[in-house]
Amino acid sequence: MTAKTCLVVDDSRMIRRVASRILKDLKFDTKEAENGQDAIERCRLEMPDAILLDWNMPVMDGLDFLKELRKEPTGDKPVVVFCTAERDVLKITQALDAGADEYVMKPFDSDIIESKFFQAGLI
Amino acid sequence: MRGALSLNPTYYEALKRLTLELAGVNLGSDHAFLIETRLSSLSRKEGYESLDEMIEELFNTGQSRLALKVVSSLLERDTHFYTDRTSFDKVERVIFPALYPIHKGGKIRIVSFGCSSGQEVYCLAMALDKAKDKFPDVAIEIVGVDYPSSALDRAKAGRYTHFEVQRGLPIRDLLSYFDRQAEDWVIKEHIRKSVKFEETHLLSNLDSLGQFDIVVFRNALPHYSSPAQVRVLRGLSTLIKPLGYLLLGTNETLSHINYGFDPLARQPNVFRKREEKVEIIEDPDIKKPSNRKTFEKAKRRLKNMGDMRQTNSA
Repeated sequence: MTAKTCLVVDDSRMIRRVASRILKDLKFDTKEAENGQDAIERCRLEMPDAILLDWNMPVMDGLDFLKELRKEPTGDKPVVVFCTAERDVLKITQALDAGADEYVMKPFDSDIIESKFFQAGLI
Repeated sequence: MRGALSLNPTYYEALKRLTLELAGVNLGSDHAFLIETRLSSLSRKEGYESLDEMIEELFNTGQSRLALKVVSSLLERDTHFYTDRTSFDKVERVIFPALYPIHKGGKIRIVSFGCSSGQEVYCLAMALDKAKDKFPDVAIEIVGVDYPSSALDRAKAGRYTHFEVQRGLPIRDLLSYFDRQAEDWVIKEHIRKSVKFEETHLLSNLDSLGQFDIVVFRNALPHYSSPAQVRVLRGLSTLIKPLGYLLLGTNETLSHINYGFDPLARQPNVFRKREEKVEIIEDPDIKKPSNRKTFEKAKRRLKNMGDMRQTNSA
C-alpha cells in the first residue's frame, strides 16, 4: 500500500521540520511549502492527500490558500488540517467555513496531530 | 546513589500493598515513576516539605485521611475525550435504541465508573445531545463516579486545558459544547447541568447511587486483583436494572463467573442483564467487602511498618 502524502505549509522552518517528523512517524510521505503561494503551486503539480496548514504567513496566508485550493479542479480532495496559533472562536469558525476539516491550535505535540488526523479520517 | 527515583524501596512496596488492600488495585512493577511523580505533587499540595515527609507521616501514624488521598492520587487515570470512539457509538447505536421503547416517557440513567477528570461523562452527554432528536420524550441522567481526587474536582468544574481538548475532541464539538475562558475551555452550562459527579468507589456500598440502565466501566477491570474483580463485578451487577447494559472496554470481557449478564451478539464488550433475578455464585474464598475492616487492617500494617522502621533506625 502506498503511503498517504501530506503537504506541510508553514513559514517557520522549525515547525515544518517538527510536523514532518511527526507525520513520517505516522507513515505519511511529506513535502513542505513555506507560504500559501508556494503551496498552491505544489498542489497544482501534485495534489496531496492531506495538508497541515498554518494561518499567518507572508505572500499568501493559510485562509486565502484554502479558498484558492478549493477552487482547483481536484482541490476538494485534500483533507485540510489548520495548524495555527489562532485560538479565537471566530477565527476557528472562519477556517471551517472556508473548507478546513480539522483544526490544531499551537503549541501541539505528536498526540494532538495523531488525534486530529485520526478524526479527519486520515489514519 | 539510587538514580532518578528517591523513594525508599520499602515504602514503594508498602504503597503498592496499601493500594491493593484499600482499592483492590494491583500497581504493576513499572509504576515507580508514576508513584513518585503523583505523590510528589500531592505532598506539595498537602503542604509537606518533601515527599519523604508525607510518606513518613503516613507510615508512622497510619492516618486514614492521608491514606485515602494517597491511594486516590495513585489511581487517577489519564483520560482523553472519545478514547475508543466505538464504545460511544455502541451506546448511541446499539444500547439506546434497545432501551428507548421501554423508557420512552420516563428516564434512562447512565453511570460512568472510574470517570477520572470527566471526559467520558461529557462525551456521553455530548453524544446523546446530538442524538436527542432520535430519542425524544425521554429524560437522561448521567452520573460520573470515582474516588475523591483532584481529577474529579476538575471533572466537576468541566474545565480543560488547550492540550486536553485537542486530544480526541473534534473541533466542531469543541465549538458546539465549550466556551473559551482565558487559556482554558469550559463545558457549556447546559451539558454540565445534564451530568453529575459522585465520590465513591466500587468496593464501597453503592446502594445510595440507586440503579442504572447503563453502566460504563471501561479499561479499569484488568487493574483489579482477581478477588477484587469478583467484588467489583458483583457490585456492578446489583447496580444495573434488569435488561440494563454493562459496557466494558474494547477486548474486555467477563470471567466465567455468573454475574447475571448475557453477552450481546457481535458486540463483544456489551453485556445485558437478564430479566429474572439471578443468584450470584458466591466464592467461599472471597470475603465480603468491608471497608472499615480493610482500612483498619491497612492502618495496623502501616503502623507496624512505622514501628519497624523506627526500631531498625534506632
